[in-house]
Amino acid sequence: MGNSHMQKQLLEGIQRGDAVLEARGITKRFPGVVANEGIDFDIRAGEIHAVLGENGAGKTTLMNILFGLLQPDEGEIRMGGQRVEFKSPLDAIDLGIGMVHQHRKLVSAHSVIENIILGHPRARGILNLKQIEEELEELCARYGFNIDLHAKVWQLSEGEKQVVEILKALYRGAKLLILDEPSSALTPVETKKLLASITAMATDELAIVPFITHKLPIVLAISDRVTVLRGGKVTARFNTSHVTEKSLARRMVGRDVIFRTERADVEQGAPILEVEDLSAISDKGVLALKGVSFAIREGEIFGIAGISGNGQRELAEAIAGLRTAAGGRVILGGTEITRASVLERWNLGMGCIPCERLDMGIIGDFSLVDNVAMNYYFDEDFCERGVLDYAKLRALTERIISQFDIAAPSPDTKAKTLSGGNLQKLILARVLSRRPRLLVASLPTQGLDIGATEFVRNKLMEAKKDKAGILLISEDLDEVLSLSDRVAPIYEGEFMSILPGEKANREVVGAMMAGLRPEDGHNEDR
Amino acid sequence: MRIGRYRLRLEKRLTLTGVEATLISILAIVFALALFSLIFVLAGISPLVAYREIFSYAFASPYGLPLTLNRFIFLLFCTSAFIIPFRAGLWNIGMTGQLFFGALGAFGVLLAFGAKGSRSLDLPTGLVIPLMIGAAAVAGGMLGAIAGLLKGRMNTNEIVVTMLLNFIAYWLVAHMIKEGGPFMNPGGRGESFELPPSAYAPSIMGVSFTIFLALGVAVLLYFLFARTRLGYQIKAHGQSPAAAQYAGIGTVRISLLVFVLGGAIAGLAGYHYFAAVPGVYKISRNYGYFGDLAFYGIISGLISLGNPLAAIPVALLFGGLSIGGRLVQGKMQLGFGMDYALLGVLMITLVAFQFFYRHRIVWAKARERGRKR
Repeated sequence: MGNSHMQKQLLEGIQRGDAVLEARGITKRFPGVVANEGIDFDIRAGEIHAVLGENGAGKTTLMNILFGLLQPDEGEIRMGGQRVEFKSPLDAIDLGIGMVHQHRKLVSAHSVIENIILGHPRARGILNLKQIEEELEELCARYGFNIDLHAKVWQLSEGEKQVVEILKALYRGAKLLILDEPSSALTPVETKKLLASITAMATDELAIVPFITHKLPIVLAISDRVTVLRGGKVTARFNTSHVTEKSLARRMVGRDVIFRTERADVEQGAPILEVEDLSAISDKGVLALKGVSFAIREGEIFGIAGISGNGQRELAEAIAGLRTAAGGRVILGGTEITRASVLERWNLGMGCIPCERLDMGIIGDFSLVDNVAMNYYFDEDFCERGVLDYAKLRALTERIISQFDIAAPSPDTKAKTLSGGNLQKLILARVLSRRPRLLVASLPTQGLDIGATEFVRNKLMEAKKDKAGILLISEDLDEVLSLSDRVAPIYEGEFMSILPGEKANREVVGAMMAGLRPEDGHNEDR
Repeated sequence: MRIGRYRLRLEKRLTLTGVEATLISILAIVFALALFSLIFVLAGISPLVAYREIFSYAFASPYGLPLTLNRFIFLLFCTSAFIIPFRAGLWNIGMTGQLFFGALGAFGVLLAFGAKGSRSLDLPTGLVIPLMIGAAAVAGGMLGAIAGLLKGRMNTNEIVVTMLLNFIAYWLVAHMIKEGGPFMNPGGRGESFELPPSAYAPSIMGVSFTIFLALGVAVLLYFLFARTRLGYQIKAHGQSPAAAQYAGIGTVRISLLVFVLGGAIAGLAGYHYFAAVPGVYKISRNYGYFGDLAFYGIISGLISLGNPLAAIPVALLFGGLSIGGRLVQGKMQLGFGMDYALLGVLMITLVAFQFFYRHRIVWAKARERGRKR
């Protein structure tokens, strides 16, 4: 883009309160769907303008259009009052738009500073690292970012990686910052810090657009205005001071939403899962799970709270039979299964919702029937002399689709055409349809919108009432706290404590997730 | 793109029906033949005449048709041998070696029963032929098992392993049939001893009975993938090893199984060509040529998208064109390698046209305003 320097002036000298970007009548169609329909949207300097919507509401499409990854079929974008066209993200970046991706796009073996200058126009030829470093430190000081510029990215926490992406965008001269799900995967403490920095940035002339799926309190806490999308259209525009969580959710989902799934009181039965001193080694070859012991009773939800990468994955996989235990024992309903195969475990009544939904739980090119068959192909009721009973499988799939209200045109639809929420419902449904005695649920609502989240949580409660024992692993602290009968905060592969649900609150558990040991005599309950 | 008042646009296909796939393939064949006409024109031959010669010899002549069919059987076995690991997400590049092993297995049976150097055999035909077929399948399967085990246990790249095993098998055959080898022809012509007539496979009008075997395998494989538990496990592993692991489908078992099955079927190709095609009945000096031909199994497998039934017409076409092309090359005194060039052009076109499996061109009247790109 040869005239980028001229165009960049569009946003030079912009004042607080001036319109930075206006989108008018943005429409984008994909085969079979209208992803965005006549969307009007504007953002002023010094403003935080949240865009809220469920999965499939058209948020991602709008975001990609604003960042130049997609071109609208109709409508126009104006910056500083002039019409602009983005042929690629480079155009958008040149004009002062910065994007902070939910799935970080950083080189993990490189240092923070190297990542920040990667792709920067000044990073050609000879680098003046010292000057760059000074400028970056000034940026950090201004917005309250606290980060070691020479640390390697792989050493950073999720929150710190996000800071790197923000710094990268700012250093590139962004006047408008798009944040994709800024607070997902952050700890409560990190979230607090991030929000403070965002607010600090907005008091300068920066314009900030967070795109948010389900963290409504964050919208209320920081944004000045909010635009709500549903079904590709704008359903509401609010000044944030005029709304409540409930009214936002109603506009977003189209109906009233219950925010707290009530913890059902179920009489607990015999222990269904016993774990003794279990340890496991991660893919990187380090001891990631360091000897945990616990038991889950029938009708009990046992929640693991922790920031991702503290051994939860290894714990779930060791119990599910997807990872060999390095030590310890796992006992399911009285039978030792430490070395049992996946199918032996399933036949003993274990069900498993994998954490990597799209990679492990679903085969995109398979039909829904074939996806349901993942939990049934080995079942003699569905297979006679090696030949699968597709009539039965199809009937089962149809039942699952209607009972779980899965939006799919037919059981023969390919799974990859369904949304993430519907796929998670499908996995949950086929696992629960076997009426497991023990359910290992890893990140059951991650990335789901409010409606689907509520649905999944209610189904977990139903399974609990049905006397299943549930191991719930989630990075959403509120979810663990509201659903679990007992909570174990995990840090670096060890349980910091095991707390009964009524004694587990955000502060206590949050501190333990960050590695603080409980003081002596504090709620020890094994 | 604009043409007159119409606008051409490329769209992603969401689904592809069997009819659409067939139409696209036929279009590709027509396109390839049209493209190759240039060669004929440059040689001063009418393409129509040339193609009529090729097709009538390959598919309608009493001399050409049996040759075509025997080659078709060979290619179909090779294609099936490729497809099984392919559906599990693994690449079998080793049909060549596996079919050589199959041939060695079949001739090994005869050697064991003392057929070398004698024109008669103690065993009845009804016993010796099943034994030879079984031995061919076992030998091919054993070679496949090496690749499958290495892949499953140590995640060794199966493409490299099967490829290298091809060389081992090639030289092993050479060792066995050349001067001093145990399979050496008593006449010492650099080929193996000949089959005793009692071990000749039954044939109908010059076409070996193995055609039923090859078609049967294709149908069985189709059923395997469409209906059975094992087929489901193979497909799941091919689509997503991680999902397969989640569902208790083990990589070691699937890798080993598909390569044993694939190798066994490739072994049958070896039996077919060296022990069942009328007029051959020995591991001939030019056995390497058939090893090379086996690579067309990969191409047919890819063109038919791993569908064992769709592989039948593809293998038939390749078999026919290789026979017809060779005839025209001699008859019309074209340059050497014309037949291979024809197959090559066809192959590339078919693969290129797979673009339309995933995309379609949409015509629309250009009427919208403000849609300048």
